[in-house]
Amino acid sequence: MAKKARRKRIHQQAVWPRTTSLEEREAVLSFWEERFGIPKETFDPYLLLATAKNYWLFVKPPDLKALQGLRVQTTGLLFTRKVSRWLKPTSTALQRFGHLATKNVVQLSPAELDRLRRERKISYEAPLEEGYVVISCEGKVWGCGLYTPGKLISYLP
Amino acid sequence: MLTLAEAPAYFERYREIIPDFERFLEHLKEPLPLYFRLNELKCPDPEIVIRGLARQGARAEPVERVPNFYRVEPRTFPLGNTEEYYLGYIYPMTLNSSLPVIALDPQPGEVILDMCAAPGSKTTQIAQVTGDQAVIVANDRRLDRLTALVANLKRLGIACAMTTLYRGEEFPHGVPFDKVLVDAPCSGEGRYRQGYEGELLYQKEGRTNLPAIQKGLLVRAFDLVRVGGIVVYSTCTINPDENEMVVDYLLRKRQGRIIECHYPQPHHPGLTEWEGKILHPDLKKAARFFPHETDSVGFFVAKIERLM
Repeated sequence: MAKKARRKRIHQQAVWPRTTSLEEREAVLSFWEERFGIPKETFDPYLLLATAKNYWLFVKPPDLKALQGLRVQTTGLLFTRKVSRWLKPTSTALQRFGHLATKNVVQLSPAELDRLRRERKISYEAPLEEGYVVISCEGKVWGCGLYTPGKLISYLP
Repeated sequence: MLTLAEAPAYFERYREIIPDFERFLEHLKEPLPLYFRLNELKCPDPEIVIRGLARQGARAEPVERVPNFYRVEPRTFPLGNTEEYYLGYIYPMTLNSSLPVIALDPQPGEVILDMCAAPGSKTTQIAQVTGDQAVIVANDRRLDRLTALVANLKRLGIACAMTTLYRGEEFPHGVPFDKVLVDAPCSGEGRYRQGYEGELLYQKEGRTNLPAIQKGLLVRAFDLVRVGGIVVYSTCTINPDENEMVVDYLLRKRQGRIIECHYPQPHHPGLTEWEGKILHPDLKKAARFFPHETDSVGFFVAKIERLM
């Protein structure tokens, strides 16, 4: 019997993500500032919206209430994820804002990047703080990795 | 499928409105040149892209008259397979596709509806022109096309756009848009030419009543924009039934006027008469772009201000 074709469901009742409180916004932006040295003010033109496990960056509209009347499918840029009790930057957001990072940036050679993308985990030693890092190669920001002493793990899409 | 041999007979209907008709027919045999738009939001330095493409065997040169556009040689180069594409540094698009957004003249802080947005070349261009600071509602009626739009927004790192899935003609009222772009579905005659592999890119419209759809979209767009706001209507077809006749229909139903624009490509005024019918005199301020004069896709653009 032919397999039933899988169809993507349309969320007819899709609702707007909630706008984060000042405290929550402060916590997320502080993480970016402390981890990567990207000043919080970089994100002043944007609202921080939240769904169950994700934070989204969306430009501040003059009249948010009017837009909230629309049945929305996606809003803005996927910015940060909640992973257990930690925050994880998305590769999408790092590709956009990662060039502003002043610390915890891993500069890979093309050969190292290629190996990381293929093997997902490589041996790597660098004077970095343990945690999420910006992966960069020849001036291009590729996204997010996780550095633990002696290892670099890929979170590249 | 319309063959190249059948093209002269098909386009004969437009002999009077296409300048230098014979040269136009000859031009259809040439493939489209390859261009991309550089995404300044993500790419800190154009040299990174130019050097990267050069390493892969492609030469990219800036187009002086259209900011952020680059022409690529050879024109068969697979831009979509490059890491510059993957990282969202470039968006391959034809040169004339930039014209509707040039007419729209989007500004930071404006609330803008892109009514038929997928796959997103113009949405992302609006975002780029405004430094990611306009509020863009990017709408499309088809989920599969919306998926491509969302993927492009993500790839280019756009934070100022939200997506919706409405039929354009039924897009709900309630948001006072400053500007609306209607890059309407059309028969695509302006794209018709011998393709890269010798195929013809023209798609016959079949039984779909495109002018009726286009009129519905344009009237709703006009009703959605605030008084004093701007609607830009564009298609990539030569057919006046899908261009001037649609705008003429709007101008007879609603209070609006066409505003003249400055474009970086050679163009001709819109028609004020077609097949014996006298059209609204404002239509001479609309613009027609022809493939053989622009070495790109044929386009029609009208910038309309809502008066009441």
